[in-house]
Amino acid sequence: MNAPLITIKGLSKAFPIRLGAFGDKAAVVRALDDFTATIIEGETLSLVGESGCGKSTTGFCILNLQRPSGGSIVYKGQELAQLDDDAMRPFRRDLQIVFQDPYSTLNPRMTIGEALSEPILFHKLATKSELPARLSRLLADVGLSDRFASRYPHELSGGQRQRVAIARALACEPRFIVCDEAISALDVSVQAQILNLLLDLQDKYKLTYLFIAHDLAVVRHISDRVGVMYLGRLAELAPSSDLFANPLHPYTRALLSAVPEPDPKSSRQRQRLQGEVPSPLNPPSGCRFHTRCPLAREKCKAEVPALREITPGHQVACHAVTSATTTQWEPVSA
Amino acid sequence: MSAVVEDKPNSLWRDAWRRLRRNKLAVAGLIIIAALVFVAAFGPWLTPYDFLSQDLDARNLAPSLAHPFGTDDLGRDVLSRLIYGARTAFLVAVIVTLVALLIGVVLGAIAGFYGGFFDKALMWVTDMTMSVPQLLLVVVINASLKQPITLWMEARYMETMNPIYRNSALIDFVLVFGSMALISWPPYARLVRAQVLSIRNRPYVTAARALGLTNRIILMRYVMPNAMGSLIVAVSAGLGTAMVLESAFSFLGIGVNPPTPSWGNMISDGLRVWTNYPHLLLAPAAVLAVVTVAFNFLGDGLNDALNPKGQK
Repeated sequence: MNAPLITIKGLSKAFPIRLGAFGDKAAVVRALDDFTATIIEGETLSLVGESGCGKSTTGFCILNLQRPSGGSIVYKGQELAQLDDDAMRPFRRDLQIVFQDPYSTLNPRMTIGEALSEPILFHKLATKSELPARLSRLLADVGLSDRFASRYPHELSGGQRQRVAIARALACEPRFIVCDEAISALDVSVQAQILNLLLDLQDKYKLTYLFIAHDLAVVRHISDRVGVMYLGRLAELAPSSDLFANPLHPYTRALLSAVPEPDPKSSRQRQRLQGEVPSPLNPPSGCRFHTRCPLAREKCKAEVPALREITPGHQVACHAVTSATTTQWEPVSA
Repeated sequence: MSAVVEDKPNSLWRDAWRRLRRNKLAVAGLIIIAALVFVAAFGPWLTPYDFLSQDLDARNLAPSLAHPFGTDDLGRDVLSRLIYGARTAFLVAVIVTLVALLIGVVLGAIAGFYGGFFDKALMWVTDMTMSVPQLLLVVVINASLKQPITLWMEARYMETMNPIYRNSALIDFVLVFGSMALISWPPYARLVRAQVLSIRNRPYVTAARALGLTNRIILMRYVMPNAMGSLIVAVSAGLGTAMVLESAFSFLGIGVNPPTPSWGNMISDGLRVWTNYPHLLLAPAAVLAVVTVAFNFLGDGLNDALNPKGQK
């Protein structure tokens, strides 16, 4: 097993907001609560969950693009969580991000060449004379020809723009890239191309990915480990094969059973969840999933379940799960 | 988009220019404004007469070949005065807009980008400035500052004998420019602030932050260039407004003082005698109207060209 690259402990993010017609009521959106995980060098760690569950916030907080409200992020022995902009700058090179929307990810007033040159020149990764060769290598890395360097973003297709966004992240020669729904906005055929590109680049440059997604089929295909998030908390974290073969958390089970099956004849048992995701403004007490959980008991309302390792590498935050094969309680009928 | 991709890159500016050229009204506005700029720039070589030379034998003449717009009550050629009035109008409009723009863009960009207390303070100041009736503020400034400045200038002249202090037109210009810039900058500041606020959270700005670029680079290279489109539209409309404003002040007698020709004081003079000599009112009023409309057409055209999404 490789060495840990980034160690995250108790990461939290709360957004203070104002409510009411006159903004007179202060409230706090707890977007991310007590996120603890270690990102291993060279792996692809995926985070899945419904929208609003805090998976993107996790990525933003790790990169310090949103200042975490609590917790620690250790990279290269350095605590990143509370660094200011100037202190963070040397680490930015190593930690990059690719965004979801290919249409707003590039500055419309800059050519592709300018956009890619900026980080190279800023971090002095090449001299002016080396720049053209460096640009053409970057573009080749993401499967684009040299002539794209003089084009503007609005002349490119969504897939091409996303390739440029990846090239921009690569321009810094990073070690870690957060892919924040990086393929979700693309056509399915283009998704596969970009996905394969990301995998090729990972091999070539020994990259570590935090892959934020909601498409479970994609996640299963590319991930080494998968974390399932619900309402700002990590519900389950396990090696990909383990998670898909033997989901332990009741929310993970419901989520996996909701994946569409390509074969219309296959019949299977669906586990439908009742109700809506509660508001992160006023999250349920105890286990945040207890309002919709088929296994919920009194204890779940009172106590927040800690993330426990059930089998090696397989962590679950659920009072009901005690071993890899049994759950402590039977589902409540009706 | 044509099916064949030309190999020349199309910047957004080039695209905008292409769209602007297809808009007939905007092109008409642009031509009128260009003609006006030309006339204002080369005025002294274009005017058939000196705008000051009086010919008391030829007062209030109707338009003729010798005087295309006639002559006024002192026998001065109206066309020549209109051309010099264009110089005044342009000088005021351009300088006022530039000063207002400088203040507005700098304050608005900083407020929008960094937020915090400075942002709040700036909004208070703009609200306050915008809540005071504009004409009243300018009248007060001119009425209260003109005398002390004039006295000071005279004192300086006595001390230094520098002829620059005898030029009373300078006081007019400084007061007019100053007070107009003072009432003109808040809308620019608010516009820029609003633009910056909406742009600073776009993914490409976040990406620039993730690249480790400094705030100054992000503001100058990522945020401001994308705020330019709306700003250009506002400036085009603002130039027209500034010209009308200058005429309004001159009309009220608080702007540029005679004998410096200004469309506003020409209209004001013409208004007194229009029943007998309508051309003295019509000529400057028509020119002002045409120029204002030209700026509005251009502004509309620029708006459509620079923000094509709003066109649907």
